[in-house]
Amino acid sequence: MYEQLKEMIERKFQVPLADIEPTATLEDLGLDSLDVVELALIIEKETGVRVTDDELVEAADLGSLANLVMSRIAPV
Amino acid sequence: MAGCPAAVTGLGLYTPAGLGVAECWAGVGAGLPTARRDPALAGLPVDFSCRVRVEPSEVLGGRAARRMDRFVQLAVVAAREAVADAGLNRATWDPARIAVVLGCADGGPGTVEAQHRVLLEETAARVSALLLPMQLANMSAGTVSIDLGITGPSLVAATACASGATAIGLARDLLTLDRCDVVLAGGSEAMITPLVMAGFAQMGALSRRADDPQTASRPFDAARDGFVAAEGAAVLVLERPADARARGARVHALVGGFGASADAHHLTAPDPDGRGCEQAVRSALADAGISPGDVDHINAHGTSTVLNDLVEAQMIDRVFGDRPVVTSTKGVTGHMFGAAGAAEAAFCVLALEHQLVPPTANLTDLDARIGIQVATRPVEGRLQVAVSNSFGFGGQNAVLVVTSA
Repeated sequence: MYEQLKEMIERKFQVPLADIEPTATLEDLGLDSLDVVELALIIEKETGVRVTDDELVEAADLGSLANLVMSRIAPV
Repeated sequence: MAGCPAAVTGLGLYTPAGLGVAECWAGVGAGLPTARRDPALAGLPVDFSCRVRVEPSEVLGGRAARRMDRFVQLAVVAAREAVADAGLNRATWDPARIAVVLGCADGGPGTVEAQHRVLLEETAARVSALLLPMQLANMSAGTVSIDLGITGPSLVAATACASGATAIGLARDLLTLDRCDVVLAGGSEAMITPLVMAGFAQMGALSRRADDPQTASRPFDAARDGFVAAEGAAVLVLERPADARARGARVHALVGGFGASADAHHLTAPDPDGRGCEQAVRSALADAGISPGDVDHINAHGTSTVLNDLVEAQMIDRVFGDRPVVTSTKGVTGHMFGAAGAAEAAFCVLALEHQLVPPTANLTDLDARIGIQVATRPVEGRLQVAVSNSFGFGGQNAVLVVTSA
């Protein structure tokens, strides 16, 4: 899921792949509140998982965001 | 209170004739038409237009351009060129004393149409949060302010197809009133979208010369049958002449007069007597302190519609007679709507600088009812005073007087 998320961010927001690390926050990647809403839309569209923009903002980093999406695709 | 002349110290152009002032003037000066078949309009009643040749998102780079509608992208590119041409230094300027006044007729209909499709075909929850920040009509000026880090007054003027000229007139007023020391004034437009073009076609405003789009925009020609839609942007840097001199800036020309009026006649048709546009012309001449006999060159509104060109030509004849050399650069560029008046003011500046009136492309057979002198080839001559006419839907008129530096 992390790799898929990374690809989405690169494609949608033109963030260089080299800058996208599991420990990066959305803020580190230069995404503001408008971008976060866009990211939530694209995650839902491409994975079927609904995450709110608040959940995206609260996620500590990309790694934990990927885990959140994964947990909803395959609930334990 | 008469306005003081404004010195034009910088130019930026991004039109179907080219990217940048040099390319645009080369195309306009040579009278090379730019209309062609437009794949984005396939299947519509009119499927040709005048597009810029290089995508603005490529000029800006994807990341910067991503959150801008096309009309904003065009404005940002033209504004950057104008600032560079003016030799303004971002390290030393006072950002609070620089204003941005741009014209725009329609904002970002391309963004609206795309997101409306999302609403209808998907759900409201899929609509982009960028819909409003991208499509609002003020975003060209807002984004130019952000892009250049300037914090003076920033606004968009809307008088439909006269917007670009209105913006330059208002910009000069801001200088006269000492609201700022520098203004980036102009206009941008990107409204060649399926919905907009369907609407224009329903109005009967567009040329139907689908078999030969290149010759469709033919202002003042007996066989003209409507305008060709275009996109683009133009930005002029304006300063008070004393300020421009004090910083050693090169002055391209002066904006010496501005006149605005309303026909108060009809939503779209010009007053057949041309009283509204004549009032704007006479008011611009009075503002500049010149008489009709001083005018050497007129860049007409000249849309290539049957009614506009006749009413405008008769008005020019009445006010100026056949002395000034008239042209309509829309034969080359098509009709850039809210950017047109700004681009045509810039073409007046360039005509005075180069002492050359650009030809009216595709004008081969002047309408027999028209008695003015319209350039059909590049005309060299001593040019000191030019007038640029712009008339918008709603009967809103804006006229600028440009004089040699």
